[in-house]
Amino acid sequence: MDNNIVGVEYNRVTNTSSTDFPGYSSNADYSWNIEKFKDTFDINISHISERSANFDLVHVDTSIANAFRRIMIAEVPSVAAEQIYIFNNTSVIQDEVLAHRIGLVPLKVDPDLLSWVDPTVDEKDRFTDENTIVLSLDVSCSKNPHAPQGSTDPKELYRNSHVYAKDLKFEPQGRQVEIFKNNPVVPTDPNILLAKLRPGQEISLRAHCILGIGSDHAKFSPVATATYRLMPVIDITEPIKGEQAKKFQKCFPSGVIGINEEGEAFVKDPRKDTVSREVLRHEDLSNKVKLGRKRDHFIFNVESTSAMPPEEIFFKSVRILKNKAEYLRNCPINS
Amino acid sequence: MSSAQREGFTAPASISHAAHGHVVNKSLGVKYNCAQCAASFTLSKSDAIRCKECGHRVIYKARTRRMVQFEAR
Amino acid sequence: MASEEKDISMTEENGEQEMAQDQELELDTEKIKLLPGSSEDGTASSFQIIDEDHTLGNALRYIIMKNPEVEFCGYSIPHPSENKMNVRIQTYGNITAVEALHQGLDNLVELCGVIEDNFSEKIEAGGYSTEEP
Repeated sequence: MDNNIVGVEYNRVTNTSSTDFPGYSSNADYSWNIEKFKDTFDINISHISERSANFDLVHVDTSIANAFRRIMIAEVPSVAAEQIYIFNNTSVIQDEVLAHRIGLVPLKVDPDLLSWVDPTVDEKDRFTDENTIVLSLDVSCSKNPHAPQGSTDPKELYRNSHVYAKDLKFEPQGRQVEIFKNNPVVPTDPNILLAKLRPGQEISLRAHCILGIGSDHAKFSPVATATYRLMPVIDITEPIKGEQAKKFQKCFPSGVIGINEEGEAFVKDPRKDTVSREVLRHEDLSNKVKLGRKRDHFIFNVESTSAMPPEEIFFKSVRILKNKAEYLRNCPINS
Repeated sequence: MSSAQREGFTAPASISHAAHGHVVNKSLGVKYNCAQCAASFTLSKSDAIRCKECGHRVIYKARTRRMVQFEAR
Repeated sequence: MASEEKDISMTEENGEQEMAQDQELELDTEKIKLLPGSSEDGTASSFQIIDEDHTLGNALRYIIMKNPEVEFCGYSIPHPSENKMNVRIQTYGNITAVEALHQGLDNLVELCGVIEDNFSEKIEAGGYSTEEP
């Protein structure tokens, strides 16, 4: 069997690069074989909730897993505010700063319902009901005549002293009335503070939201984070018993190491380990254990901004990589 | 490159009521806000520079409702 | 996009031909080009791909290196502020570098297909937690 463990030692890592290529070894055939890949490749889903997903890709190379991670962050399209038309802003926050903040607000829009804005079209006809969502923000602050005596809380003293993302109101254009009937556009997190106001101050603006990708601007990224880590491996080479076992257990996060009836330490759940190498700092323990990570076992963690479910973001990333390869396959090679 | 367009004033195209902000009521003078009591009022050329509500002498010119376009970047 | 006129004038006989032509027109002829430094028989070549980065570069390099006919494959992004990616392929001589590239892209497509199918299978099967731990 190949050595697929990346060694994690006291002050170095070993065996870091994959060697599964034809010609590397005479006793194994590493050439690409789709049937073999089908048999060995596996996905284990730990959980998929509305906002986050955790799943394992097993027996796949780093270059492939990393491509999906990169695509989820930078190339899966989503909708965000791009143009802000400010009619009035007498608050203390500057127009351009406010515009920037509104741009970063994640919106609950299915990106498949919009088409791409064509930058070659004349600016007058560029934005249509098919590619642009209009949000409006109209708030003005006033004194609260019913404020309790002696209160110093701006929320009690004034009305609309805080402007939140939920104050952005969707204004359906044309056919959007029908399309977005059952799922109107709202910010996914209603309580993002956009500005603070005092009596007499006013904000009035329109925001035009379009499709974009994360490589253009982070506001278009559909994920808050998309990361992977390699599956930790703890190899106990010599039995660890009694008091030492308890000490050994304490070197790892809780739940990683168990102690059986004989008082001997065993690896219960390596997935929970952070590979902190704490155990290697203790002279009496460091020679009884080998730490490592499985090089072809990726534990993905995807956190969605909830415009679309996290599993859909991964799905799209696979399809985008596929389309990239298919497209390039058909492109004529210029010489 | 894009900065010229980014903070430039652009004639409102798709927003209908934006154009109205452009027209300032010249006959009524200029709009001001009081720095003390936040009252808004208009003053004409010959008026004394003080708030019509509280008499405070520090007043601010009100911002026009002319539309300004920004890129949310 | 095909112009509407063309679509209407399309007849049964030349329909297929036109379709192929249309597809060809849609594809970007600037997307990939051959760089100087090829061997005469075409078994060793460098390519330059526009608007691609490590995402496709590294995945493509991996899958091409998996081809037993390929002696060497490497990629580089010569400058981070230019959206260009170079790929070098040298084969043992039984296939050309272009063939190796195309086989690599085909393999990458089928790999994505397997992952896609496997993932949707697992989603449909259910049995996982729907709450954050």
